[in-house]
Amino acid sequence: MIVDPITFEVVKHRLWQINDEQANAIRTMSVSPIVVEGNDFGTGLFTKDAEIISPGAYMLIHVTTMDTIIKNTMAIASEINDGDVFLTNDPFIGACHQNDVAVVSPFFYEGEHIMWVGNVMHYADVAGMDEGSFCINADNLYQEAPRYFLKIVDRGKFSNEVERTVVTNSRLPDMVALDVRAQVGAVHVARKRLHEVLEEHGVETVTAVAEQSIAWAERKLRERISELPDGEWKTQVYIDGDRVGSDRIVRICLRLEKKGDHLYFDYTGTDPQVAASINTTENVTNAGTTAPIQALLCRGEIDWNSSVKRVATVYVPEGSVLNCRPPAAVSVGVIVCSSLANAASMHVMSQMMSGSEKYRDLVCPSWANSINAVNIFGIGRRGKYVGNVLSDHRGGGAGARTFGDGFDHGGFALCPVSLMADVENQEWKLPVLYLYRKQLPDSGGPGKFRGGMTAVTAVMPHRTDRLMWKSQNTSGADQSNALGIGGGYPGAGSQASVVRNADTERILSTWDIPEYYEGFGGDLKHLSSKSDGFLESSDLYIYHAPGGGGVGDPFHRDPERVRVDVLKGAVTIEMARLAYGIVLAADLTVDVEGTRQERLRLVEKRKSEANVRDGDAVVASGNGTGDQPIRFVIEYVEQIGDDENGMVRCTECHHVYCSASEEARDHAAVRYSPLRKAGPWLAERWAGDSPNFHLVEYLCPSCGVVFDVLERLQAEALLLGEPKRELAATPQ
Amino acid sequence: MTYYIGVDTGGTFTDVVILDDKGTIIFDKALSTPDNPALGVMNALTNAAALLNTEVETVLADAARFAHGTTVATNALINRRGAKVGLITTVGFEDTTIIARGPMGRTLGVPIEQTLDYIYTERAEPLVPKALIRGIRERVDLEGDVIAPINRADVEQAVKELLAEGVDSIAVCLMWSFRNRNHEDVIKETIGSIGNGTHVSLSSEVAPVIGEFERANTAIVNAYVAPRLASYINDLQERLGAQGFKWPLQVMKNSGGACLPSRIGREAVSIIDSGPVAGLVAAQYFGKILGYDNVLATDMGGTSFDVGVIYRGEPAEEKMPFVDHGLPVRAPRVKEVGIGAGGGSIAWTEGQRLMVGPQSAGASPGPVCYGQGGTAPTVTDALVVLGILDPDNFFGGRMKLDKAAAEAAIQERVAGPLNMTVLEAAAGIYDIVTAKMADLIRKVTVESGYDPREFALFAYGGASPAHVVQYGAALGIKEMIVPHSSAVFSALGCVLSDVKFIYEHSDPLYVEETQEFIDAFNGAFNDLEARVLSDVAASGIGADEIFLVRRLEVRYEGQFNEFTIPWHEGALSFDTMGQIRKEFEERYEARFGQGASRSIHPLEVITFRMEAVKATEKPAIAQVEEAKNNEGVDLAKVGTRPVYLRRYGQLEAVVYDYDHLRAGHTLEGPAIIQRRDTLILVPPGYKATIDGYQNTRISAIEG
Repeated sequence: MIVDPITFEVVKHRLWQINDEQANAIRTMSVSPIVVEGNDFGTGLFTKDAEIISPGAYMLIHVTTMDTIIKNTMAIASEINDGDVFLTNDPFIGACHQNDVAVVSPFFYEGEHIMWVGNVMHYADVAGMDEGSFCINADNLYQEAPRYFLKIVDRGKFSNEVERTVVTNSRLPDMVALDVRAQVGAVHVARKRLHEVLEEHGVETVTAVAEQSIAWAERKLRERISELPDGEWKTQVYIDGDRVGSDRIVRICLRLEKKGDHLYFDYTGTDPQVAASINTTENVTNAGTTAPIQALLCRGEIDWNSSVKRVATVYVPEGSVLNCRPPAAVSVGVIVCSSLANAASMHVMSQMMSGSEKYRDLVCPSWANSINAVNIFGIGRRGKYVGNVLSDHRGGGAGARTFGDGFDHGGFALCPVSLMADVENQEWKLPVLYLYRKQLPDSGGPGKFRGGMTAVTAVMPHRTDRLMWKSQNTSGADQSNALGIGGGYPGAGSQASVVRNADTERILSTWDIPEYYEGFGGDLKHLSSKSDGFLESSDLYIYHAPGGGGVGDPFHRDPERVRVDVLKGAVTIEMARLAYGIVLAADLTVDVEGTRQERLRLVEKRKSEANVRDGDAVVASGNGTGDQPIRFVIEYVEQIGDDENGMVRCTECHHVYCSASEEARDHAAVRYSPLRKAGPWLAERWAGDSPNFHLVEYLCPSCGVVFDVLERLQAEALLLGEPKRELAATPQ
Repeated sequence: MTYYIGVDTGGTFTDVVILDDKGTIIFDKALSTPDNPALGVMNALTNAAALLNTEVETVLADAARFAHGTTVATNALINRRGAKVGLITTVGFEDTTIIARGPMGRTLGVPIEQTLDYIYTERAEPLVPKALIRGIRERVDLEGDVIAPINRADVEQAVKELLAEGVDSIAVCLMWSFRNRNHEDVIKETIGSIGNGTHVSLSSEVAPVIGEFERANTAIVNAYVAPRLASYINDLQERLGAQGFKWPLQVMKNSGGACLPSRIGREAVSIIDSGPVAGLVAAQYFGKILGYDNVLATDMGGTSFDVGVIYRGEPAEEKMPFVDHGLPVRAPRVKEVGIGAGGGSIAWTEGQRLMVGPQSAGASPGPVCYGQGGTAPTVTDALVVLGILDPDNFFGGRMKLDKAAAEAAIQERVAGPLNMTVLEAAAGIYDIVTAKMADLIRKVTVESGYDPREFALFAYGGASPAHVVQYGAALGIKEMIVPHSSAVFSALGCVLSDVKFIYEHSDPLYVEETQEFIDAFNGAFNDLEARVLSDVAASGIGADEIFLVRRLEVRYEGQFNEFTIPWHEGALSFDTMGQIRKEFEERYEARFGQGASRSIHPLEVITFRMEAVKATEKPAIAQVEEAKNNEGVDLAKVGTRPVYLRRYGQLEAVVYDYDHLRAGHTLEGPAIIQRRDTLILVPPGYKATIDGYQNTRISAIEG
């Protein structure tokens, strides 16, 4: 049955709204700040065969993994009846991790199974060896929270026994009890509304609209993909630190191949699963990888639904960190591996879209790629044991765009409405005192367009003796993963630090708050990405999420924009000069001539410090002949002529890098520097110079424009035959 | 003769309603004069006085009340033409309003389709730039205890710096100031002594509730619009006084009440967007006299469709109000939910789907049929093509519509690509926009646990009467009412409004059966009452003239969203404790279904609210005599015209001229009632009756 466009629009809008009502019910009933303010939940409507009809606008991966849960439910359940609600948090059934509890319910109309309804919520604690259930100390699955597959409502009858089982396994039973009811209540609301729609429009029309909306979205999506250039793009992102006490570096490799109207993502080369909880399942990797298709390609114009899964294939090697097998632990994987799969996917898609005239404007290299989440537990008001994730990590910066700066405090790419809580609400719920929460200058990656800024926060125990912290930061305490593109530099890393025995008595009584770390007195320690411990009454916890990466060579940034950035505190005067070559007069106006000369000097310095491969230093003339087609590849690099006989050259000076079959990067001048070159908030543990990573700038040997900047693992550099850089620093 | 005057300034027209002591209503309009809105007000009054065959001076001298809905505050905000505001806050939190809770600064107040467009959803520019924000060393904690005392020298320094920067208004928001306002008071005193009359808005006064970002924004927005608004109101008061008006004029607030000019400095933020809320007040009034407890008030104009809900006689309240993109506020206001569905909403296709909105042709270039350069087909164009609108008789014939151009545009942009006839496409556009309107109403009712079928539906604003029966029927609503004064409904709401003082105070308390809790609970209400009564007295109103309404915002411990419950019990005692949970869980289950509540879970009272209402004097609106036996209805018939609707196919609708319809007349669909200010479509199976108030009341023909 084909539904006419009018009925289609009427019914589809109604379905969207029913799902949204499910979401609002959850937000009103939940007691979890992660759900209500972080919007870390998802609600979905699905076809009878578990295809996603309507995923809502909250945490996307919760819904794009729920289809797997429904399929597994159909395989596992002994019976599926009208009025049933199943509950599971098992990552090997499809849940993102043990905290993400899914309920799914078959929807029947007049005895016939028509659809599925479901929602997922992040519970504050579901047991396991670490408070908050992100088990950063676990080395296998069986040390983590228990995994359930239960029927919480049987033919309309709520099971107190099942509820009891779930609630009793939490350190925060009161919170979990209300969250269970919120989930069941939300399903109830959606089912009631669906019933009304079916009464009004009939089974045939409603199911046809559901299928048609997926098919139509798929057709549109394929059209868009066809318009993008065919080709192959690669990236790598890294995890630094897989568990408490380990700074192990884990590598994720992603290759995107695009041919015709299909996207093929290939994670070959990604490291094997580890004896720590950062691993994740194939289902979650798929969801993280395909999310940028929705964010960047669908925009608000193509419906988000199962169509995305039809236009993309994701290959994830079995046994890798991204497709682990039991007994691999997985509880932290959702904010480590799936975020980084999303980051890697965003980066390869941005490279692909850079080569398209039509879609270049949608390029965005990164979006707060590390989730620097910390759980705080302790004794709160009225002697009650309380705990939760602080929310400041949701203020990370988004990557720059090809036409504008990245959003300051843009939040997560996987959930654009994941909000920071008011400080007062945090202080109300947890026994903490905030000393500051503020913008972090120089945290946006330098570029022609600057990456978004992040925020930095300092907290300490308040009205309690001590607090436990559990930091499950994705990564970014070494390299940043805050990728730039087209010559843009990475933004700030993702760092948590502790100051022991700070001079809190004086600071609190005068409220003379130091700027960042210095001035608090006591002992400062920058932490590895996974860490835990206790904050005593004079200890501070200071942390920041990553910034966004830049787009384009920062020496091409309009000096006026840099001046405005200095005035509003986004960039310091020092960084304006070092990263952007901007000289400001005493009254903070741009010294035009001084700037011109400084930029010339810095470009010469770049060139003189860069290594050029034999034979590549010759400046060839690349003006081409006649009417050869010119195709944009990425910022400052274009291809002239066809794929077989053409060549790749610099857009600025027409220096020819290589033939069209080769990569400009392999023939560029290359400079290696400490990570601090990108900004003061990278590799803070090593004063900006990590023993594991260095910054690699690829530039035109002729005019010196930088067209790519990477954070490269030293070990890889050695394999690639790159010279080893001498390191002076040792970890602080 | 005594007159009661309401004037509402809108974007295009300034509307005036005058009620006399016999309850007779007259109304008129004048063009709005955005550069000097007082001029439009005076012109409208002059027009209305002429209808009464008298002079403005006479009307004003005999007026007992002048209530005014103004857009001065809204426009100052939307056009960013408010005061230069400085912000004083606690050291360490100077960036609170810049960070804007991260993504909230991008996504709040933006339609969902737009937020899904990641790259193009920009952050809102903060109202106060970083250069005009100063931190003060001081800190209070969650219990209101002082951690670090405030230092007057710091305050003076900050105030002097801001004054040197040229600010003409200062907002103050310190951490936890709603639990201990002493530090903010110190700052107010300092500005009072060295500020040369600079306006100051304290967050502990304008929004004493938890959440520093929202509280700061409320103070900022208040400080931003107050100076301009105050000078406008003073100017208008003088003009009215010069023409003989003897009383303080009253200004409409978005909480549905009016305030006195002396309170503008404190309540400026509540004046924003008050016009549409005034319409709701009028709907509430008619609901009451017509015997409807539950009323849906719908208003469709050129760009948007807005819905307000009155449940059990009381307007629903907005829980998460915002005044602009990225600007949440925490001042109590009536809930009015809108979507971008108006006469100007553009219909389009990407080759498969037929979509309407969210883009709008607005007033300029407007629909294609206006012939003002619009090329994209709109809802209004569809209405012309369907025959619902008469091209030669649009708004009393003041404007000719180009039907051929509307057809061509629909053919080219929608019907052609979708391989449909123009008529089918136009009917589809009409149905889709109407379905969206029904969905919005469904959302605002069912999400609060209400059943739309238990409501009467009011339709006003230029465009809604052409759609009302369609969306009303889709929701199973039985009574639909197009008010006689629908074109000036907000001005009427001004006349009918009461003076309200609304106070709230967050004082989070854990509910437990202890004397401590009972004392704290009663103390909170007593403090509020003392403040209310002192402000009421300062406004020249006697304590015996007001009545107090108490409310509580309650939630399960740990939740983030509260339910508002009424508190009728007076002082709390062990005997009445149970009432808190009973009222709360009753609402909770109505909303989420039986079994959703958890009676062993502890409760928190978060906010105490008190409203002082001074009922204003106003005569009952008079009824006119009703015609018997439908006598004379044929005189109103001016012909028939073909109308096409998807549900009914081709119809021949009888066209009635509203000016010739009299109270008591009943007519049956298919019919069109043509008014000078709007058009009512009555489909087959429905009848319309003109009641004694000359409202058009539409319902299904039974049997």
